[in-house]
Formats: sequence, structure tokens, C-alpha cells
Amino acid sequence: MHLRRLLAAPLAVPVALVALASFAQTSDASVGVGVQVSPVRLGSMAHRGESYALSVDVVNTGTEAEAVSMRVERLSRGSARTVPPSWIQFAGSAVQIAPGKAARVSLELVVPGRAAPGEYLSDIVASGSAAGQAGPGNLGVAAATKLEFSVSSAPAQGGSSFPVWMWALTGLLLLTVTAFGVRRSGLRIRVERGSSHRDAVGHQGEPHG
Amino acid sequence: MANYEVIVRRRRIWGFVLLGLALLIAVLVFAGRSAPAATNGGSISLSLKAVPTIRSVTVSPSTASFSNCTGGNAGADTASTSSALGYPNGHCWVGAPGASGSFPIKITYQGPPGQVFVVGADASPSGGGPNWALCNPSAACTGPGGAPGADQYMLKNFGTNTNSSTGLTGSLKCDQEFSSRGCSATQGQSEKEGIELIGPQSSGSTSSSWTMTVTWAAAPPS
Repeated sequence: MHLRRLLAAPLAVPVALVALASFAQTSDASVGVGVQVSPVRLGSMAHRGESYALSVDVVNTGTEAEAVSMRVERLSRGSARTVPPSWIQFAGSAVQIAPGKAARVSLELVVPGRAAPGEYLSDIVASGSAAGQAGPGNLGVAAATKLEFSVSSAPAQGGSSFPVWMWALTGLLLLTVTAFGVRRSGLRIRVERGSSHRDAVGHQGEPHG
Repeated sequence: MANYEVIVRRRRIWGFVLLGLALLIAVLVFAGRSAPAATNGGSISLSLKAVPTIRSVTVSPSTASFSNCTGGNAGADTASTSSALGYPNGHCWVGAPGASGSFPIKITYQGPPGQVFVVGADASPSGGGPNWALCNPSAACTGPGGAPGADQYMLKNFGTNTNSSTGLTGSLKCDQEFSSRGCSATQGQSEKEGIELIGPQSSGSTSSSWTMTVTWAAAPPS
């Protein structure tokens, strides 16, 4: 009995410290998510029937690993049309991000063939929640950045009417014609390194005065 | 047919010009490096602040439990206990509103000036059965006196600045409790908040454990 007490006393202190530390860690735990401030913009006009690759930077600002999911939602005010969420396809359903780490999330803008031309505006929302936690009251976080682009009323360049391979074939044909023309004209191009001897000879031959 | 000959010559004069330029650069670099030594000077450390490129919100702690539950019907043995919601329309709290209240949830905004939004969600039972739908002024509560009806519940957040929340909705809305200026936020601004829950008139699920999520969001200025 005395032996048990003697063992229990030194054990109680570290056990209490561990319990206190774990409680403090729980109470200090936070969830946080951030996204890039600069809006996600398309560099040029979007064309109907085309798709475009975009990306957005996401950061876990909390103290726990998070599963960050992405969606499109209109939060910003403005007269521009709202981007239909179906036009934006994200790679994967959620991105796992460690505390303090960042990730670049790829997304694809798919403009339908019957899209109305004009300016479009929505927000890309990154939502984070502590991975694996399901308490009675979960506290979630999210961060949003604007998504802006314009859809042109003109048909896409390099579209089905004149595809890339047609441009390549035309270029090859032009090169062949040019080469044939040069050959037939008898024009010769020779690159010759200048030499001091030749310069000296040239100078000697020139009249003075 | 006439023959044409194009001759491209590399002139020696350009060699001298390039050599001269190289010498000039070498002299300038040498003079620039030796100058501080001649004046026996030191160095200064420079600091620079750059604008934030990330807009974020951080919430601490990551989970919370409701307590101080009141209401319900003692006659039907469904009165609230301190940690369990009663029926009908019991109230539970995370924190407590008012001047001497407590606000256990800390929301911190980082980034250029923007806004803080808040959104609620349906409550899910752990034991199966129908969810409790979030009701509020925009999704009318069907209970007596505007209280949540069957399988409905209400969430309200409150802060140290105001207590004017009319109920969270299922879509992101400006968090009017975040600051005295509404939901506008600046770099490093933080606010402490609490949550009030008003339970349903009755529940279609017999589950005694429910989970729900309240989400705060950092958004660009409107």
C-alpha cells in the first residue's frame, strides 16, 4: 500500500502536466483559411465553346490540418453577369493542406457554346474545416476572391473554321515556295569572316589624299 | 542571269569597342567597391513592409459545445438540462450575450480591407433521421410565435459590439456582429463572438447528439 502511494505521487505530476498540455492545445487550436487577394482573371477574352486553365492560391492559416474545398458563389456586387457554377471545374473535391502551408488549386473555366457575351463576375470560395473533427458545434472558415472574365461575341480564333494544323501547313507551304524562289533566282548568300590580311590589302589598294 | 553575293564581315573595330566597354565596366565596378573601404563606412539594415497578398480568416477554437440550455417542457419530461437541449424550442448557448457576457469564439481577419461574412448550416443527427433545417427571417420558422417548427432550428451569433443578429442563413451574409461598423474588416482585426441556438418544436429524429457548422468567411470589399 505504501509502495503504491510512493509510485503514484511521482506519476501524478507528469500525468497532470500532459493532461493540462493537451487541454491547452485543444483550447488554442484554430482553423483558418486564406486565398489570394488578387482576383482570378482571364488574361484575354473568353470565347464560347472554349475552355481555359486557371489557378488560385490557398493557405491554411490555422493550427490544424484542413481539408479545403472550393466552390463558386456570387458575393461581390456589380452589374456583371454571375458565373454559373457549372462553368468552373475544380481538380478534386478537396485539398489537404497542413498548418501554415499553401497550395495552388487548378480550375478550368469551360464556356458553353451558347454563353451570352459580356462581363462575368463571381467569387471563388475556399472553405476549410479541421480534418477529421466532428464536434457538436463545428466552427468553419472560408475565404473568397473575385473571379472575373469577359466572353467575346466573336468566334474563337483558331477555332474549327481554321484549326492549328491548317496554320502549320500554310506556313510550311510558304517556306517551300520561298526556298524554291531563292534557288531559281540565283541569289547567293555567303557569310565570310573578315581577316586582317584582307583588310590590309584593301587599305593598301585605296588611293591616298 | 546575274549572281549576287552578300558578304557579312566582322569588323575589327567592334572588337576594340567591346574591349573598351569591358574595361570601363571593370573600372566602374572596382571603383564602386573600393569606395566604402576608403571612407571606412558601415552598413545599414533596411526594412520593408509589403501589402498582404492573402486574405484570410482564422477562428479559435475549432469546435465549441453548447451549454446553459434552458426551456422545454418539464411536464413531458423534455425540459432542457444544462448541457442538453429540451423540447419544444429549448435554448442553448456558446458563451453569453450582454455587457457581462462571455464570447468564447475569436475571429481574426488578415489581409487588405475587406469583409467578414457568416453562414450557418443544417444540423445533422448522429443516429440517423431527418436534419434540422436552419430557419430565420428569410426561411420562415413555422413554430408558434415565429419559433422554429418541427425539424427546424435557429442560430444567432452575438458579439461584444452589438447583439442584433436576426438569425444565420444558409448562405454567406455580412456578419453584422463583427465590428461596430458592420462586417467591414481591416488587417489584423479580431472580434469575439458567441452563438445562441433555438431548438425545434419537435424532432423527427430520436438522436440525442447533433452536429452543425457555423462558418466565418473573409471576402473582398463590396
